[in-house]
Amino acid sequence: MNVFLAVLRKDLLIEWRSRDRVVAMLLFALLVVVVFQFALPGGVTPRTRENAPGLLWVAYVFASLFGLGRAFSLELENDALSGLALAPGDRGWVFLGKLVSTLVILALVQAVTAAAFAVVFELSLLPVAAPLAGVVLLGSLGLSGIGTLFSAVAVGTRFREVMLPLLLLPLLAPVLLGAVRATTALLSGDELPFGALQLLLVTDASYLIISFIAFDFVLDE
Amino acid sequence: MIRASGLVLGALAAFTAYLVAMAPVDSVQGVIQKILYVHVPAAFSAYAGFLTTGVCGALYLWKNDERYDRTAIAAAEVGVLFCTLNIISGPIWAKATWGHWWVWDPRLTVTLLLWFIYLAYLLLRSFTEGSERTARLAAVYGLLGVLAIPLNYFAIELFGGAAMHPDNLERDSLGAGMRAPFAFSVLTGLAAFWHLLMLRQDLEARRLTEALPEADWAAEAGS
Repeated sequence: MNVFLAVLRKDLLIEWRSRDRVVAMLLFALLVVVVFQFALPGGVTPRTRENAPGLLWVAYVFASLFGLGRAFSLELENDALSGLALAPGDRGWVFLGKLVSTLVILALVQAVTAAAFAVVFELSLLPVAAPLAGVVLLGSLGLSGIGTLFSAVAVGTRFREVMLPLLLLPLLAPVLLGAVRATTALLSGDELPFGALQLLLVTDASYLIISFIAFDFVLDE
Repeated sequence: MIRASGLVLGALAAFTAYLVAMAPVDSVQGVIQKILYVHVPAAFSAYAGFLTTGVCGALYLWKNDERYDRTAIAAAEVGVLFCTLNIISGPIWAKATWGHWWVWDPRLTVTLLLWFIYLAYLLLRSFTEGSERTARLAAVYGLLGVLAIPLNYFAIELFGGAAMHPDNLERDSLGAGMRAPFAFSVLTGLAAFWHLLMLRQDLEARRLTEALPEADWAAEAGS
């Protein structure tokens, strides 16, 4: 538990002092919104509003690839990765520390991106802000869960920026299916579909448990 | 072992080819239905390959024996080969019968995702340096890939497109006279998988042992 808090505090402190991840992810997410605007000419129509939840999650996934990659690449300096591997106790706590720090940074970026989407696609998010935050958290848990594991895997390879998306994206299918369904239902004023929530919960639980256990083998420097 | 499996494969393949050529032509679909004799065995072999990779990865992490890793890489490569064959033969049949090259139904989507996952597995292996680290990281990823199969089926059954892919293995779903060629083609497919697996595993073992003299030379040059 101490290792978890130490890693969490360290990462958040580094982020607070340099702000490099937050700024980069935020700029990237906003640029993605602009690109969507060019990709879908014709302004805001009912059809683009229908697709907005999916596009929002695309923006979230791409922004998270930045943040996840940086989670372990910043440990390459001064051989800090070996330091993490030598931490006492179960290495899964290092994984959790990295996961939560990434989630905190991601949450900030996701909130601002959602606001940008609300402006560009003329969505009203405030009435559903609380359940939407819950859905986004569930989706981000799954995304960052295996994302953090694969970031540690990718950092041991030669082309880590390329490897992380290649490893991560195929396994995101259940997370995206559930998250986009739930977000669509929320934004069109319907009740949250139980199936989507069930899928997100099952996926998150599976991914988090497997990543916690597998992390021991991955960080074996 | 390799020669034996090669001979068995050769014999089975020849006999199966004869059976498939003699098999009755489907009255509704026409001769395109015979793709079944390639498509289904390829699917079985692909899934066999991926399961083998996952299981051998787990065994490697547990026992730390590099022979499991050799089998894992061999099974992944052969699995990807058969999966590619599966994904190419499927749409050819689909365009002729359903009128679409591709639909996002559960089985197609999961197979495509698996194809991507194991291609990423192969890339991960070629981009990682150090054989122990490669084996370890690949084992973790291969295992996750296998565990993702039921999860993805669950996900896509809930929300994917309506199931269009025919359910197989129903009783009498094959027409009369098709059971024998189908059974033999599945056998041949699995025999091909086995033979290629043995070949690739042998190649991997040779690669490791034959690299040793070079390593000596490099060490001498360095000192």
